[in-house]
Amino acid sequence: MSDTTERVKKVAAETLKVDLSMVKDDSRFVEDLGAESIQSVELVAAFEEEFDIEMDEQGALGVKDVGSAVVFIEKHL
Amino acid sequence: MSENKTYSRLTDQQVEQLKSQGCRAQDWSAVTVAQGFDAGRVRDAQFEGEVKIGSLAGTVASASGLDRPCGIEEATLINCTLGDGVRVANVGSHIANYAIGDGVCIEDVGVVQTNAGAMFGNGSEIEVLNEGGGREVSLFNGMSSQFAHLLCMHRYRPKLIEKLEAFAKSQADSVKSDTGVIGAGVKISAVARIIDVNIGEAATVWGASALVNGTILSSGDAPTLIGDGVQAHDFIIGEASKITQGAIVAKTFVGQGCQVGKQFSAEGSLFFANCEAFHGEACSIFAGPYTVTHHKSTLLIAGLFSFYNAGSGTNQSNHMYKLGPVHEGKMERGCKTGSFSYMMWPCRVGPFSVVLGKHTRSFDLSDFPFSHIEAAHDGRCMVVPGLNLSTVGTVRDGAKWPTRDRRKGKVLRDRISFDVFSPLTVGRMIAGSDRLQELKDNTEKSIDIVTISGAQVKRVLLRGGIKYYRSGIHTYLLDKVVSRIEGAVEQGGGGLSQALAASPDAVYSEKWVDIGGQMMPAKRLEDLYAAVESGKIAGLETFELALDAIHDAYAEDEWAWVRHAYKKIFGTDLDTITASDSESIAEQLLAVQGKFLSLILIDAGKEFDETTQTGFAQDGSDADRAADFKAVRGEFDTNKFIKQMRQAIEDLNTRIEKLKQALAVCA
Repeated sequence: MSDTTERVKKVAAETLKVDLSMVKDDSRFVEDLGAESIQSVELVAAFEEEFDIEMDEQGALGVKDVGSAVVFIEKHL
Repeated sequence: MSENKTYSRLTDQQVEQLKSQGCRAQDWSAVTVAQGFDAGRVRDAQFEGEVKIGSLAGTVASASGLDRPCGIEEATLINCTLGDGVRVANVGSHIANYAIGDGVCIEDVGVVQTNAGAMFGNGSEIEVLNEGGGREVSLFNGMSSQFAHLLCMHRYRPKLIEKLEAFAKSQADSVKSDTGVIGAGVKISAVARIIDVNIGEAATVWGASALVNGTILSSGDAPTLIGDGVQAHDFIIGEASKITQGAIVAKTFVGQGCQVGKQFSAEGSLFFANCEAFHGEACSIFAGPYTVTHHKSTLLIAGLFSFYNAGSGTNQSNHMYKLGPVHEGKMERGCKTGSFSYMMWPCRVGPFSVVLGKHTRSFDLSDFPFSHIEAAHDGRCMVVPGLNLSTVGTVRDGAKWPTRDRRKGKVLRDRISFDVFSPLTVGRMIAGSDRLQELKDNTEKSIDIVTISGAQVKRVLLRGGIKYYRSGIHTYLLDKVVSRIEGAVEQGGGGLSQALAASPDAVYSEKWVDIGGQMMPAKRLEDLYAAVESGKIAGLETFELALDAIHDAYAEDEWAWVRHAYKKIFGTDLDTITASDSESIAEQLLAVQGKFLSLILIDAGKEFDETTQTGFAQDGSDADRAADFKAVRGEFDTNKFIKQMRQAIEDLNTRIEKLKQALAVCA
């Protein structure tokens, strides 16, 4: 498992207030982890801070799960 | 009207005929009639005092729309003047002290009476915003939202208030009369009580319960309707408005093009252009233009609103059982409150923000427009600054208001600035962005939540807020500059510096204000204050003309502001812009506005995603869900708004390409 994946999971767990063990590689933020609309915005902000990147909002809002978040973030690194 | 008409005494023959038709008079010599008077059209009538009667020929349209014969039947008239073509029938008690215009139809009424020295709602003093008093607004017929806003809100200028109060009093005193007026073409039917009410031309009053001490402003091109079960006391109702279906209105001003009904009750409140109020309750509110509340259990109290939409069960409280109801709330233009949202005043909400949940702590988020403001479980206010900037709702609102102006007639009293993005809102974004940046720079990463003006923000969202605001600020400024460049190019490209220059008449203020729906530089307001306080503006008419002039100067003042803001944000003086700079600016606009529009599309797309389809096809299979959703809600690609947004993106691309080509030619 890549370092990016680990960090994405950690950020997701902290932001969405779920146990880290619940966050899987293919977890969907809304359906599986219960993210509300505002939490999606928080997630993007938290990813930006964690990875010190500025994510393109258009693309970022299209990120629906851990796997696609990892791919998206790695493009910005 | 009948003022210039010549009335003659009845002939003996006419008196005898009238008597034979069941008519009586205190003094037949006091009953005079116009040429063409047909005594055959008067029966079972009693005349007291001086009564003048018009020709009574032909028919007149009744409130129900039927043409009925003109005449007087079963009515007692006391000191009344009737125009031509009038029908007065089935008056339970009497009509007293009224001048009734041509073509009026009054049927099935109880009492219609004007008392000596009636003010017709003018001069009624109402406690707006602060139920405990201190912001009283004295009503008069021609009151604009701007006048009321200054009188109510600018109490820190006592001399101004003194002058404005004098203007209001002068206007109110001018309507004082012992005789009421029912204008030409008015239709009144099935109304129990009308006391001290002036009714303007072409108004319809049908089924109201009681109207006491008020004025119904109305004209042929802007008729006003007062409908079933309405109870109104101490009121003024503006042209083209509809007060219907059991509304209760007391000590209240309703401006032009408003709709109040479905048992809504309002007390001590002001409603200006195009407000809509149904089912709920308003108490001591200043409802600026386009304030809308449609649902039961919604109480708007002691607040300032405009371009506002109240969700069901929206509620505020203005006291804490201490010194009484003395707290006030300010919701700046464009706000919405979600279902069962609650705010404990005092609070101030920045423009175009959405408020959700139960807020039991005060906050001031005026520097954070377009925010998502949600209450935590313990009543703390949590804010996501700028989140609503690129939401589909904000865009739809901005587009719909100008198309929903119901005001008619020659004089539209309230001046309305419709722009969502303006020096007011963009200026706030700049201020908000600066504050967020400062907080971000000075907050340790170990801290989860920071506090701003009584509200709390998750620290990680500070950068998001800065980004949102930056996007809004850039889009607005670049669009304004590109529009000017386009203007110069259309003129052949030679006048770029001229097109980007500020008008010598423009007024610049960094700060802009929203005065009852009219936006203006703070300096314009200062000048207006000074003119009123010094006596240079000595009456209402010149005061309103000054506001008109400010309204007319909006575009030039806005441009002066844009020039300053552009320099601040981009570090470039627009006086130094060249044609090649122009191309770069156009490309920046394409990038930033294109992204902005795309975000709106993404937001709109959420209305069509899988989660939104929850509950569809409840009696069908999972496979039926999408089909049911499609049948009811349509498809993303064919949705009207989606198509408009896509077209806007296409138009933007075309616009920028066209400009670049034109700039190349000019170069």
